[in-house]
Amino acid sequence: MIIDIHAHPGYSHSLKGLREEFRVALGVAQQHEVDRICLSSLANWEDSPEPDRVRSGNDAVLALMADHPEVVIGFCYVNPRHPQEALEEIERCVVEEGMAGIKLWQASRASDRRMDPIAERAAALKIPILQHASYKTGGNGTGESTPADVASLAARHPQTMIVMAHLTGVGERGLADIAPYPNVCVDTAGGQPEAGLVELAVRRLGARRVIFGTDTPSRSYGAALGKVLGAKLMVRQRNLILGANARRLLAGRITG
Amino acid sequence: MTIDAAAYVGEWPFRALEGTVADLATTMRGNRVRRAVVSPIEGLFYTDPRPANERLLRRLARRRNLWAAPIVSLRMADWREQFATLADKRRVRAARLAPAFHGYRAAQAGEAADLAAELGLTLAVQIRIEDERRHPPFVKMRDVPLEDVVALAAAAPSTRVVASAVRLREMLDSAQHIRQLKNLWLDMSHLDGLCCLKEARDAVGARRLMFSTCWPFFYARSAVLKVAEAEMPAREKDAVMGGNAERAFGLA
Repeated sequence: MIIDIHAHPGYSHSLKGLREEFRVALGVAQQHEVDRICLSSLANWEDSPEPDRVRSGNDAVLALMADHPEVVIGFCYVNPRHPQEALEEIERCVVEEGMAGIKLWQASRASDRRMDPIAERAAALKIPILQHASYKTGGNGTGESTPADVASLAARHPQTMIVMAHLTGVGERGLADIAPYPNVCVDTAGGQPEAGLVELAVRRLGARRVIFGTDTPSRSYGAALGKVLGAKLMVRQRNLILGANARRLLAGRITG
Repeated sequence: MTIDAAAYVGEWPFRALEGTVADLATTMRGNRVRRAVVSPIEGLFYTDPRPANERLLRRLARRRNLWAAPIVSLRMADWREQFATLADKRRVRAARLAPAFHGYRAAQAGEAADLAAELGLTLAVQIRIEDERRHPPFVKMRDVPLEDVVALAAAAPSTRVVASAVRLREMLDSAQHIRQLKNLWLDMSHLDGLCCLKEARDAVGARRLMFSTCWPFFYARSAVLKVAEAEMPAREKDAVMGGNAERAFGLA
């Protein structure tokens, strides 16, 4: 089973448009034999969206979950700058509607204390947090986490499962930052398919802490899969990365 | 026959790459790539890339399926002589320019384009090598504007021009002009996004696009899978996978 831990519905601002974009993405994913897609909204790609934007973005993901229940696994996007609303949204989307994870982007850094109630709730619900991270030459945005911020969150919440996004963006230093924290994995989503990074992640973290993702639609399924299928790995390691690790993280929430 | 239109060998100073000719051969076999056009990574950094080119040519000497695209800096006073010397080498099919690395603009390469045509060389222009967000902090290097390369090709219709490492957005922005040029080809290694190759094909036509990996910077398998997911008709796929490179580099 191949599971894409990191995908987004599309760029459209309407549900109709997102449905059409996702229909195309689904066709390509199925062509590559991707069985499950973990889908999260980014609330119209705003850095720090207001709660109503967050809700409408999650509503779109819920609609796609309903359209494709056999494929789509919803991740609930929240903005930690609105802590109360974030917790309410987690209740609505995860507890009531069956989403399987929490998505955090770049509203605030993972080291920010406003993350704490969200991380505690994720641990209580036994669901992973997918946290955007990057090391950028020109410096990260105000709310954009570095891997060191992710490590800080992991240290404060050892019971919370965290998937640090963007292996290419975090690079070797990012792997070193999270290596001491077994509750953090890295996903392979996003960035160009830089050769050698998947093997490096396996050496630094072990194959059980590396998870396949695409970041589609901004990235190609082929390019993203090529990172794992092109890496020099043992079959067992490849299977862990492509699906078994995500399945373990999403325990009980994936059937088939 | 699959031809990789843009591969490199050598050392990259900012991270470890497995970039030897033997590594390349292994990667090509693993991805069913029969031939490749190869440039020396060190040539991007040398003030005068000639020593890197000489090493490359020695390394390729016994590899009948590898063709060289040595790098020339137009900042060198003898670049014309370097072009002429390269044109005499059996394994050389192109001269690669890296204006961003060597400190000039692609728009200044008009005479080089004319001379390349005269000598039977293809002119490859490197737009970028890696995402600027990943550049080391001391590097203040800007990508080469694709529109400058398009203008170069338009002004030198007898010259075969290759734009290397083009992104989808910039290709779409210049698509109308690109479609009109029969002497310009684009390497697809840096195309990304859902259905990127299909979109590129729709925008500029399959005859302008070449299979290329940007190996050893990128996993070659990613390029192979990007082509697979585009689901092009067989005739178009054959062109992208090798036919266009044969024409662009005169390999037939």
